[in-house]
Amino acid sequence: MGTKKILLFGYGKHGRPIAKGLKEDGYRVRVVEENFEGYEHALKDGFYAVHIDISDDDSLRELDLQEYDQVVCVMDDEHYNVFLTLSLTALFPDLYIVAISDSIHVTEKLRLAGAKRVIDMYEVSANRIYNILHRPVATELLKEFVASKEGISFMEMEIPEGSFLHGKMSDEINFAHYDVLLVGLVDFERHQGFEFVTAGHQHCLDAGDIIVCMGEVENLRIFKKLISKKEL
Amino acid sequence: MGINEIVLSVARKLHTSSTYHKIKHFVHDIFTNEKNVYKKYFDLTIIFLIFTSIFILVYEVKYPVPYWMDFYDIYIVSVIFGLEYLLRLWVHNDLSEMVIESYHDAQFLGKPFSAVAPLKKGLLQKLQFMVTPSAIIDLLAIFPTYRPLRLFRVLKLLRYAKSINQFVDVLSNKRFELLTLLLLLVFIVFTSGIAIYVLEEKVNPNINSVFDAFYWALVTISTVGFGDISPVTVEGRSISMMIIVSGIAMISFATSVIVSAFSEKLGEVKEQRVIEKINKNDAFLIICGYGQMAKMFLRKENLRDDEYIILEKDIEKVEAGRREGYTIIQEDASRTEVLKRFNTTHAKVTVLCLIADDIENIYITLTAKSISHKIKVITRANDSSMVKKLKHAGADHILMPTEVVNNMIHIAITQPTMYKALHAVLTGKDVAQIYEIHVGMHHTLIGMSIDALDFIDYKLLFIGIHRNGTFLFNPPKDTILEPHDIMLVIGRKISVEYFQKMHREIG
Repeated sequence: MGTKKILLFGYGKHGRPIAKGLKEDGYRVRVVEENFEGYEHALKDGFYAVHIDISDDDSLRELDLQEYDQVVCVMDDEHYNVFLTLSLTALFPDLYIVAISDSIHVTEKLRLAGAKRVIDMYEVSANRIYNILHRPVATELLKEFVASKEGISFMEMEIPEGSFLHGKMSDEINFAHYDVLLVGLVDFERHQGFEFVTAGHQHCLDAGDIIVCMGEVENLRIFKKLISKKEL
Repeated sequence: MGINEIVLSVARKLHTSSTYHKIKHFVHDIFTNEKNVYKKYFDLTIIFLIFTSIFILVYEVKYPVPYWMDFYDIYIVSVIFGLEYLLRLWVHNDLSEMVIESYHDAQFLGKPFSAVAPLKKGLLQKLQFMVTPSAIIDLLAIFPTYRPLRLFRVLKLLRYAKSINQFVDVLSNKRFELLTLLLLLVFIVFTSGIAIYVLEEKVNPNINSVFDAFYWALVTISTVGFGDISPVTVEGRSISMMIIVSGIAMISFATSVIVSAFSEKLGEVKEQRVIEKINKNDAFLIICGYGQMAKMFLRKENLRDDEYIILEKDIEKVEAGRREGYTIIQEDASRTEVLKRFNTTHAKVTVLCLIADDIENIYITLTAKSISHKIKVITRANDSSMVKKLKHAGADHILMPTEVVNNMIHIAITQPTMYKALHAVLTGKDVAQIYEIHVGMHHTLIGMSIDALDFIDYKLLFIGIHRNGTFLFNPPKDTILEPHDIMLVIGRKISVEYFQKMHREIG
């Protein structure tokens, strides 16, 4: 996963921290900025950045969009995000675009424009408040889980070919033994969607399935390495 | 020992007695404090007495009443009303304190102390209270033996009819206009009454006295016109025509005055109603600012009308919120007197500062915390430099929308599957969520080990225990549950509910 390439549009209040976070996680990020100031910031922070006019289809085409695994639209002006998403999907219909939105209307437009994943700033914040009110402890912990690079966190991992997990039933393996908890998984035999273990279904783990585990980051890393082994 | 010393010693004794003060304060509270929990029951009792008494009064007109009803009406109701009246009179002011104060003043000045002056002053205050309309009604409502006087018991209800109080309030704002109108009315009734009396007393068989003449004038000017007295001479009819015209003018003037008084005050009255309604709840939210975030939050929460109130400064946004059907009033939440209108002493109040302007959020946080530390404040911050300031101001939770969303985007890119899981957990979709199971002081779970709890059978995923501020992730199987533990589990709502039904607080 570490070699994934991300094309990031916008280096403002969202783009900057996201780019830095992705870089820390070992992603290859290329920044595209329309604003010259943002472009200079990106360069100063050591990113491979380009400064183009996003309303110009030709310069978009020159970006070699197919080379990238994901395209992220997080420009400060929401109108640009919608416009950009639309231009990009018109040029390359199969792009995986993640976009930010700041209202329900924009979310709707981004979806129409073809963004695969739209994250609404106020929706996630409102959810956070809801959770603070109803589940204060869990929220505080979740915040830590999500934000921290150490301590307890979630991690998703793909079961590699030849793993000892291959062919086993999901309840056959004592995950707690490895100090991790199995939260859920994507079982490609059944359907495409993510399912929590608490749904009560039996899953046969196969290579290629994706499991989401929870635990200390260290233990998760160890476990991730462990599952590539054939036997224990 | 002179009379002065006796009064002084009695006053001293009362003044220093804490029980006396406690009782007096309690009674005063029950009479006047809307937030007092017992006031409701006291009011209902009085209202019940009034209605039964009125019922007996009406029933009596046609049918003989049994003796016990009469007894109830004459003795029980009257005694309770009498007691109430005396108590109201008692708590109106504090005689003992006045005596003591005057004694201290006298000592300070080195002049001889006389109990007469403070007592006179205090009693005068009580007398002033006795001549207020509501006190007079209360007094008259006590005496039941003269039947028509019992009608005053109906009037006693006025004290409990808030709308009438508000009506009077609104009208009293237009005192000047209404008074002018009344003077004009008196003037016209007086002159036309005199005129008709002089002109028609001899020829009109229906006009026998000046009272008849005034009565006719008022009936005519009000455009009611019973017709029992009507002018018979040309002169009399000319006067009638004039007062009919002036009557119409006056009624329309009066109507417009009252209507304008109401339209001016309507918003305020409505606001007051909303706040009173919400104050009856023992826990509610005050949402400051009606913007994108508030909208999203409200959409998510599905709150009942009396569980929240939105305060917004901008009238346009207020209107927009009203159109959406939310409880919203135009107020500036950063003003102390605005937040003080809410029942912050008895209810669990949570203030959500969702305004886009950080400085305002800080100000509201400070205002709320300065009123009471019990108020919980959750605030939004747009700039990371504000987080520290908000913490300093005492905010219980601070969240930065940009940070939250940046995190989510980061996860959506790096771990798309987990994003789905997390999104479900965070947004509370039907599949599964994180739940907290609070172990109270007397819970069946206390003393049980994790091993003994068959989470898998309940289709729950046990994550860990939050104990004394630290989180124990996936604790050893032999961990014993203690009071105040909070267990975190992932699962569907029904599973958690079932689990909590099987393991719950005792007593």
